[in-house]
This record gives sequence, structure tokens and C-alpha cells, in this order.
Amino acid sequence: MRWMVISLGDRFRGDDGVGPLVLDELRRRYGEHLEGVENRGDMTQLLEDWRDRQVFLVDAVVAQDKSAGEILRLDGLTESVMQSVCTTSSHGLNLAEALELGHAVGALPERLNIYAICGENFATGDGLSPQVAASARRVAKEIGEHLHAQTGGPFCTSNP
Amino acid sequence: MAKSKTIKVDYLARVEGEGALHIRYDDSGVHDVKLKIFEPPRFFEAFMRGRDYLEAPDITARICGICPVAYQMSALHAMEHALGLVPTPELRALRRLIYCGEWIESHVLHIYMLHAPDFLGYDSAVAMAKDHPKIVQDGLQIKKAGNALVRLLGGREVHPINVRVGGFYRVPGTTELETLREQLQQARALAEDTVRWTASLPFPQFERADGDQYEFVALSHPDEYPMNEGRIVSTQGLNIDAQEYEQYFREEHVEYSNALHSVLEQRGAYMVGPMARYNLNFDRLAPRVQRLAEEIGFPPFCANPFQSIVVRSLEVLHAFDEALRIIDDYRPPSEPFVSGTIRAATGCAATEAPRGLLYHRYSVDDAGKITAARIVPPTSQNQKTIEEDLRLMLPQFMHLPEARLRARCEQAIRNYDPCISCSTHFLQLHLQRGAGALG
Repeated sequence: MRWMVISLGDRFRGDDGVGPLVLDELRRRYGEHLEGVENRGDMTQLLEDWRDRQVFLVDAVVAQDKSAGEILRLDGLTESVMQSVCTTSSHGLNLAEALELGHAVGALPERLNIYAICGENFATGDGLSPQVAASARRVAKEIGEHLHAQTGGPFCTSNP
Repeated sequence: MAKSKTIKVDYLARVEGEGALHIRYDDSGVHDVKLKIFEPPRFFEAFMRGRDYLEAPDITARICGICPVAYQMSALHAMEHALGLVPTPELRALRRLIYCGEWIESHVLHIYMLHAPDFLGYDSAVAMAKDHPKIVQDGLQIKKAGNALVRLLGGREVHPINVRVGGFYRVPGTTELETLREQLQQARALAEDTVRWTASLPFPQFERADGDQYEFVALSHPDEYPMNEGRIVSTQGLNIDAQEYEQYFREEHVEYSNALHSVLEQRGAYMVGPMARYNLNFDRLAPRVQRLAEEIGFPPFCANPFQSIVVRSLEVLHAFDEALRIIDDYRPPSEPFVSGTIRAATGCAATEAPRGLLYHRYSVDDAGKITAARIVPPTSQNQKTIEEDLRLMLPQFMHLPEARLRARCEQAIRNYDPCISCSTHFLQLHLQRGAGALG
């Protein structure tokens, strides 16, 4: 059972950087034990990266009826996925299309736990909105606990 | 009076950026073709002013998420021309290597995800993948190899950050490059399959008549298939240095488009991109690529734009051969970049983006701040030719049912893999048959 954490988004576009910053935090805690991928928008690459893995995917989203910092937890293999904020361009796929394509070509992960964190500021620049930063810490902690519980220890360090 | 009819497509998918196409025609002919690009202008040239010359490659890379390396390369070469910097042969080879990665990434995305569904009758790559999963899997594998090249040389596969004026911030060691060889060789085999597959697709027959033939424009280099360097040549005898570009090429504003239309002075529309490169440089493709073209009966001069998908696949194969050659010959540069004295100067350069010739010109002051910038992307240069293609090919396809005619027009636009975001920068299609009627 191989676990992987994938972040989507651009760390220099405000709240779009929440995925990479969650990944940074998990890497800081777990170092080389963590298999992580920072994806900046190439969804076709996802189909290669997540193959045969059990995946936690963290992304920023905009949802009209949600407030900044709200965390949406989805099973990416069984529930419908919202539009990702992260798209390279109209040339590329969005996450929902990547999942559909992955299904068609047999390139889906074994599990896909999606954490979609609602953002509000996607202007160029680093730093998260306060509510999003708080949610990032909560998601990093939650994923860490999941990984620890699922793997029984490889993620357990003296300073978790 | 000829019976009038309108075909309207509000959203042309599988192109980059936002635009619309309007065609008015009746039984007597095509009366109006307008490629309307309404994506707002992005003013990159204006906000480059006052920025440091070292920032040009990374800022202009943001013009496009598909071909950032092309913007970086044209910016680098233009700045180096201004400052009199000449990178070492080892650095030059590494630049060519990262460009190979981008050609692979960009062309494979277009071949498999954007253009192939047109030929096989699907409205998307996802729909195509349900019936042809192996084809799409192969495409993903090939693209992955291109991503690996750009990631290694550029630091990351989208919007790389490791190139700089004079060279690179960090150059790879021999072992790092060698680790890519096996992946590239495996992907090369799939790329060869891709050439055979694309050549077997059902192509609409269209070639321009005498008097309407394309003027193909591309870089040409005596020793290599052009990427970073060469003279600007054409099938009608143009042969100039990039410094002379603005004497021969002019951008025009048209009221219905936010992108400028580029024309050759006194000659008008021309075509840049894979077909232009191929037709002007076939004998400098890697020998194995030339042999494969011959083996499958694909001619060294391609005049049917619907066959551009085959040309792209041949260029992908070439990029693999070139990348493997560069890796085999690699000697790490003694320094990651060359530097020189900042001076007030103007420099320009053209390189071959996946979609064609990409021209940059910059002026810098004696503190190295940019005082003027000009960027002419390939899609701007092809817009007029796309309109002419539609005008010329429509009579040939008018017998098709309306939905198929509309699809054929969209396919014809995708022959050019247009990047509207680069040119300003989605496409709505309005086909209007005859006068007045809408529907």
C-alpha cells in the first residue's frame, strides 16, 4: 500500500497555494517518508503520478455558497468533483476530466481522498488568507493522522 | 437571391484562449470570414517596461502555460543579442534539450488530446479514450517523457524557472541526464508508433490552388532542424536575419480582434509552425525520422493543413532523437551561465515555438532596465492564414450536413493548434449562410 500526497495549485497565487503549503508542512513533519507531488496544473501528469497509489489530494476551490477556509472532503472515486481552481490553460484538463480520462484508460489511483479548501484571494503573490491558512494546518494534521493510522508507523517521528 | 443560412458554434473547444469565428456565405461563395479574438489584451509588452533584463524570460514565460520555454528562449536570445553575450556550445545544447522537451509536451498534447478526436469523430479526448484507451495511454507516456526533460532542465514542468540570460541557474550533471535515457528511448518507440498511427488517419483532402498557395515561413539553420537559431526563410525566397524582421513583417489591427494580424509586407498572409518548419527543413530532420517519413509515404513537402498532425508527430520523433543525441554528447558546462557588462542596447531574436516563429525585441538602458519590448507570437502570424484557409476550403465542403460542416471548420482551425492566449488569447464559431438569416 503506497500512499501519496498530491497538491494542486500555484504557491504564488494567493490561496491557490494552499495545496503546496499543506504538502510543505507534511514534508517538514515526515521528511523522506512522505511521497509527495506538487502539481502546478498539468492534469495529464496526475494520471501517471497517482497510478497504483492511495492518494490524498489537496486543492483550492471557489464555491459560491461556501466561505473562505471551509474544507470539503470528497472521495474522488465515488463522488462528483467540483471544478478545480488549478488549470494550466484551456488546453489542459480539469480535475474532473482527468478523473474521467483516468477511468477510461485505467489510470486511477486505488483511493483518492480529496481535500478541497475554499479560497477567496487568488491574486498574484504569496501568503494565504487567514482562514485558509488555519484550514491548511488542520488538513495537514488530519492527513498526517490518516497516514499514521493507515501505515502503522512509517510516518511516526519523534517530532510529528 | 441565394438561400441564406447561418451555422453558429458558440464555443470552439480544444483551442487555447477565447475567441469566435464568423463566416458568412451562400451558394455563390464565401463572403466574410472573421477570426474574432475577444480575450482581453494582456499588455505584457507594456508592463515589461522598467523591469530588469534578467526578469524578461520568467515574465514572458507566463504568457503561455503550454509553451513557456519558447517565450523564455526568445527572450534569452534577444537579451543576449542586446548585451553581446554568446553562451558556450554546452549551454546551447542544453537549451536545445529543454526545447525538445517542450516540443514533445506541446505537440503530444495537441495530437492526442485536441486534434485526434476530430479525425476519429469524437468531441473530446475523454470520449475518444473510452473507445481507444491504448492510444491515449501511449500519448500520456510520451508526454510524460517530455515533462521529465523540462523538469530536469527547467526545475519544473510547467513554467520552468531555471533558465536565465546567459545560460541556466543550475546545470545538470552527466548522471542526471543519463537517468532520462531509458525513459526517452521507451517513449521514442511510442512516438514512432504515433507517426504511423497519425499517417493512417482519414484526412480531408484540401490543397490550395495555384495563386493561393501558402508562403511558409520558418527559421532555417545550415546544420540542424531549427529551434533556437537560424535565418528567417520562406518558400517564396525570403531570407533574412531576425534583426530585419520588422522591416519585412507588419502587424495590423483589425477592428474585430484583440490580437494583431501579422502580414508579410506586400505579400500578405503566411504560415508559420510545424508545416513551415518541415517543408523548409526536411533534410535536417534526424536521419531516422526522414527514413520513416519515406517508409510511410509521407512527402517531404506537405501542403494539406489537415496533415499537420502527421508533421507534428514527425517533429516529436525528431525531438526524441535530438534529445538522445544531446544526452549522449553531453559535457557539463564549466559555468552555468555567461555574463557580461550591462549596456544600453536593443536586441531581437526569433526561435521556433511549437506553434511557429516567435519574435522578441527588447531595449534596455545602461542599468539593465527594459525600456521597450515587442513580442510577435505564432498565432498572431497565422490568424490571417486561418481565415484564408476557411474561405478557400468552405466551397469544397459545403455539401456536408451542417453539423459536419461546422465540425470541419473547427478541425481546420485546430490544424494550427492556435494559442489565442498567446496572441492576446476560446473560440466561438458563427457560420452564417447568406444574408441576414440567423439560426
